[in-house]
Amino acid sequence: MVRDVYILSTSMVKVDRYFNKSYKELTLDVIANVLNNGGVEYIDYVIVSTLLSDSILHQLDISTMLMQYLGLSPIPSFRVETGESSGLAAIELGFSLIASGKADSILIIGIEKLTEYPTNIVNENYSKILDYEVETIRNISPPDYAALIMKEYMKRYKVSREDLTVWPIKMHENALKNPYAQLRFKVSKEKVLNSITIAEPIKLLDTFPIGDGSAVILLGSENTLRRVSSEAVKVLHISSSTSQPLYLRDEILGFTALRNAFKRLLSRFKVNLEETLLEIHDSYSIYAYLILEELGIASKGKAYTMVSELSNVNLSGGLKARGHPFGATGIYQVCEVYSMISSKGLGELRYNGKYGLIHSMSGPDYNSRLCLLEKVM
Amino acid sequence: MGHTVNTSSRLEGKVGIVGWGVYVPIWRVKAIEIARMWGFPEELTKSLWIEEKAIAGEDEDTVTMGWYAAKVAIERGGIDPNEVGAVFVGTESKPYAVKPSATIIADALIDTGVKSASDIEFACRAGGEGIRDSIALVMSGMVKYALAIGSDTAQASPGDVLELTASSGAAAYVIGPEQDSIAVFEGSTVYVTDTTDFWRRDCSPYPRHGEIFTGEPAYFHHIISAAKLLFEELGLKPGDFDYAVFHQPNGKFPLQVGRMLGFPKEKLLPGIVTPWIGNTYNGSALIGLAKVLEEAKPGSRILVVTFGSGAGSDAFSIIVKEGIEERVKKGPKVIDFLERKRYVSYGEYVKSRRIISKIE
Repeated sequence: MVRDVYILSTSMVKVDRYFNKSYKELTLDVIANVLNNGGVEYIDYVIVSTLLSDSILHQLDISTMLMQYLGLSPIPSFRVETGESSGLAAIELGFSLIASGKADSILIIGIEKLTEYPTNIVNENYSKILDYEVETIRNISPPDYAALIMKEYMKRYKVSREDLTVWPIKMHENALKNPYAQLRFKVSKEKVLNSITIAEPIKLLDTFPIGDGSAVILLGSENTLRRVSSEAVKVLHISSSTSQPLYLRDEILGFTALRNAFKRLLSRFKVNLEETLLEIHDSYSIYAYLILEELGIASKGKAYTMVSELSNVNLSGGLKARGHPFGATGIYQVCEVYSMISSKGLGELRYNGKYGLIHSMSGPDYNSRLCLLEKVM
Repeated sequence: MGHTVNTSSRLEGKVGIVGWGVYVPIWRVKAIEIARMWGFPEELTKSLWIEEKAIAGEDEDTVTMGWYAAKVAIERGGIDPNEVGAVFVGTESKPYAVKPSATIIADALIDTGVKSASDIEFACRAGGEGIRDSIALVMSGMVKYALAIGSDTAQASPGDVLELTASSGAAAYVIGPEQDSIAVFEGSTVYVTDTTDFWRRDCSPYPRHGEIFTGEPAYFHHIISAAKLLFEELGLKPGDFDYAVFHQPNGKFPLQVGRMLGFPKEKLLPGIVTPWIGNTYNGSALIGLAKVLEEAKPGSRILVVTFGSGAGSDAFSIIVKEGIEERVKKGPKVIDFLERKRYVSYGEYVKSRRIISKIE
């Protein structure tokens, strides 16, 4: 019998550039908080999500290193990595361990420390989320694919470059209210269009900033609930899927991994997106439009026309403005939705609804994951 | 930042600037041309605010440029060069790795051997250190005048973002007693830490840098720390200054750090020269200061904050005296050098800087 899984507590640091802190110190900062609030007496497993620990931090088996540093050994630990969606993958694993009865309480840590190296080194390693033997070695990087997709989108749906500035403008505005966001300033249409070209037609302000982040979630079974003082939110389901590489796709404007994951989720749960708080993976603004269209929130080629009306999507500022500390991003998204649907609040932000849906993916939807949360009394 | 020994940042105007001079080579290369050459987005030149940079000609180097600026500084000060008791050359691009540049410049200007001379290396801040050392020598009475020079033919690896700004130029200041000075030092502070934001290892032809790390924890942290310390120790606030001049690796950073410290744009713009001549490294803040001295009215208070990677900043509060207009007229001005220019292509620039060379 599958058991229920709850989020008992969360904690995060502002996404930022922490030049004077190591990944261990950044983790320590968030962990004390969650253990004190979580009220659990023991932890069965610790799962660490990180993308570039081997290349940027030169560290393998980072979860064991963290157990040793944090004084958490002998608790067993894992490191999970599935590209940019690693955070939700870690939660998926934690969810499964509790649902199956193998564990009652699991600490999930998302940690990414990128500012150890300049941008070119970070980008070189980030590009390895694509197929190294086929794509990366030919100098294809994630923004190159986003640029191809954006060009095709503009051509096919006759949308101007200017029209597609609505997403970053909105995200920067949203981030003003999120105390954990990396970029807390407004941008104008002109500022987006005049920012540096990353890969024509993608501008600097169409994409996420490089930053460090650390966020933690404490997951527990029903057995742990009565000991918990903070508010619990139920993890209803996590559904995930993979897709074909971009160069083998019949349709480059479709995100099939997301489509499949969503279909699977809908087969088990009724989801009314209008009454659900959504966090989507907007690593490039063009992906935000495609995700909104794939989820059926907007019709094809029309997502940009309704961005201004969206009051339940990426209130955090999204990857665009909250930031995208790769392996920690999924954990941030879940922490934010948890905070907004529970009475905890994200700064002053609260969402007056029961459900939250988090989407995380890697590259141009090479894999996609969806996590559905429900507020329970 | 507390002091355990009894030191003072207050100089009470006992020592000042007697004369100054600058040199900027005539040759310019447009930043957009460098950007196109290496495939940098053109918007980058706008976001850094760099339009063109000055390039030393084939017959110019740190010594020739530093000598010219020093000659003008002495002439403008109207002093006997033989009364200059110390010559400091702040540079990170010495023609000789071992052998002082300062002796070449000193002997080209001064007849007597009774003088001290040395090169100072602290990335772009060595010129500022030269001014501090000069102040100390003059105040102690060990020398009558000291010459502090900042001069560089800055190196940058072709294709590195640094190449958009790294340029050539020099500034020199004769530091002397109050009665001979046309602008006096009210106070000076310094703030130095071991911060490896930009460096060049021995035998490496070009420096390397930590990109964004050169900003926030390096440039901004050190300049703000030195400036705030100066405000605190002199009991001054940004509103008390008429001008603020900062080290300017590009046009954007000095505006940004000025804003962070609370200066309005109009107090910053007069001292900004980098967008039109590039980052002259040790000349950078000092050419900016010269430009401000050439525009300032008597009684004006000027804040100058240097920055050098590695990293450190000197902050100075300078008050301009009566008669500045006369002293300005006694030599070529910064504006003359800004207007005196001829454009070269990227190819001519790399040839004259010996980035490409032919085997003999």
